[in-house]
Amino acid sequence: MTASGLEVRDVTKRYGDGATAVNAVRGVSFAVEAGEVVLIMGPSGSGKTTLLSMMGALLRPTSGTISLDGTVLSELGEGRLPDIRLRKFGFIFQDFNLLSALTVLENVAIVAELAGLKRRAAREKATRMLTELGLKDRLGFLPEKLSGGEKQRVAIARALVNDPALILADEPTANLDSAIGHEIMRILRRVARENSRAVVIVSHDARIRDIADRVLWLEDGEFAEAVELAVDPVCGMSVERAKATSAERDGATVFFCSRGCRAEFLGELTGSGSGQAAT
Amino acid sequence: MTGPIWLLARRNLLRNRVRLVASIGGVALALSLVLALNAIVGGVATQITTYIDRSGADVWVAQAGVHNLHMAKSSLPGAVVGAVRGVSGVAQASPILYATETVSAKDQRQIAYVIGLPTDAAIGLPSTIRTGKAVPGPGEVIVGQDFANVAHVGVGDSVTVFGRDLRIVGISASEGNLLNTVVFVSFDDFAKAQRVANVVSFVLARTAPGASADAVAKSIELSIPGVAALSRPEFAQQERQLVMAMAGDVITMMNAIGFAVALVVVALTVYVATLSGRREYGLLKALGARGRVLYGIVLAQAGLSVAFGFLAALAFTAALAMLVPAAGLPLTLSIEPGSVIAVALVATVIAGVSSVLPVRQVAGIDPAIVFKKGVAL
Repeated sequence: MTASGLEVRDVTKRYGDGATAVNAVRGVSFAVEAGEVVLIMGPSGSGKTTLLSMMGALLRPTSGTISLDGTVLSELGEGRLPDIRLRKFGFIFQDFNLLSALTVLENVAIVAELAGLKRRAAREKATRMLTELGLKDRLGFLPEKLSGGEKQRVAIARALVNDPALILADEPTANLDSAIGHEIMRILRRVARENSRAVVIVSHDARIRDIADRVLWLEDGEFAEAVELAVDPVCGMSVERAKATSAERDGATVFFCSRGCRAEFLGELTGSGSGQAAT
Repeated sequence: MTGPIWLLARRNLLRNRVRLVASIGGVALALSLVLALNAIVGGVATQITTYIDRSGADVWVAQAGVHNLHMAKSSLPGAVVGAVRGVSGVAQASPILYATETVSAKDQRQIAYVIGLPTDAAIGLPSTIRTGKAVPGPGEVIVGQDFANVAHVGVGDSVTVFGRDLRIVGISASEGNLLNTVVFVSFDDFAKAQRVANVVSFVLARTAPGASADAVAKSIELSIPGVAALSRPEFAQQERQLVMAMAGDVITMMNAIGFAVALVVVALTVYVATLSGRREYGLLKALGARGRVLYGIVLAQAGLSVAFGFLAALAFTAALAMLVPAAGLPLTLSIEPGSVIAVALVATVIAGVSSVLPVRQVAGIDPAIVFKKGVAL
């Protein structure tokens, strides 16, 4: 563990007791350095969101420790967690989660005000951040008037406004088209590099793998080491080659997340008359 | 930290205009009921003593045990008038006969204080005469402007009093109230109709310059057996207290209903607003907002709803207070500062109480709700 960054050590989260107990996360350990972008991928139900909630101090682990910049979050009392979340974390969500009654500027400034900045200073800082993210002309807009990419940039500005050490992003590109998704990822990468922040992204989206410094694969609550991944050509999801359904195409093997995607793929091939073999 | 609280409370309220109007309108309606009722009662309390206040008497002398006019019956021997005149400090004394009766004209019937005045009366006369005579003679009556307006009668028309038709010879300024009007007949007509002789109901006395009304009243009671004597302010106070006591239960019940309706309206709308904003409260928690900020938003929303509702209610009641007399109704709405402050205080309590459930609801929100997919904020 370095002086700055996130360290997750042997973290387990169990729901329920006895015979009905379910381990959503099992003995997970990893570290994220300041300036590093880590992408956590895995199938639905693999424990990604539970892990993200624990990293964000929104959920306590059943066992193990989570530390940020040397502070063990999992040992802090409830009374201290709001401050930690406010000043140490920046959250970015799939659904953007902007406050619908507030303007773009207010959505960002209010988080700075909650952290203790005076109203004028908070608005100035929020304006600066939004301008840097290309939203200068949208300051007075309500979220409903923004495109998906603009909403996510507002969410990024809100996540950054209190200069947090760690950015936690939950499926940040899921509701965006490919070009906008890449733009958002480039911004997150820049945030990590230029401001020495640790960035953890949870996503299904394989298109953003190249932006990450490291990709971790979570399955059944555990990290699977050195898994070979492939991208489902139908839905775009990352899939583990060893466990995925496959088909042959032009002498190469294509992997799918489900039989449905494979059937769709093969149907397309048949329709186009290319006549490739399926396995 | 109050900036974000008020900003979010205000915006949350304005976001759903229908709910806002329902909330403020409901509170306004409920508090209007309370304020208007209290104003009406305040008005009646002021009006109820108009005749006493304007009678010109410094001391009212009645049969022992009688301390007011409303629903009272006082009977004194005629000799008491002379006895009162003889008391030190009394400058002038004049008798009246008094009864509560129904008067009617042109299908209009109204309860009235009927005052029997001697032809040489100097005290107890109508305070202001709009038209005609100030003292009625035999077969004559002076009615108040309020009754004249309602019954559409004027000088020369007939009014039935004590079952006998009397001719209107004067219209006085209204000295009645919501409950009754005041008419003046001659002392002799009154005595004949009531079949009484050599008795009076009250003796009205003016004190000599420099004499205290209370002291003179005390002297009268000490020197004349079987009488009660009160200074005019005290007699009026007794009258008001009696009427207020009679209306007390109704006022209390209506106030309770008004406050209960306001409480239910605010509690319901704030609860629904909080319920529909669960995810946003969860987001604020996840972002690091402390409990006091979230509870503050709920309280501020309730407070703003109640405050705007209260102001609307006050404006409505003030408008009513201006419009009612202008419409010629025999009613005065008196908005007492004490009543306004009391309603404002109760409204504040309503805002607090109505926030209890929503605050508990917010306290129980799991901030991890922000990671639940598919429900946009």
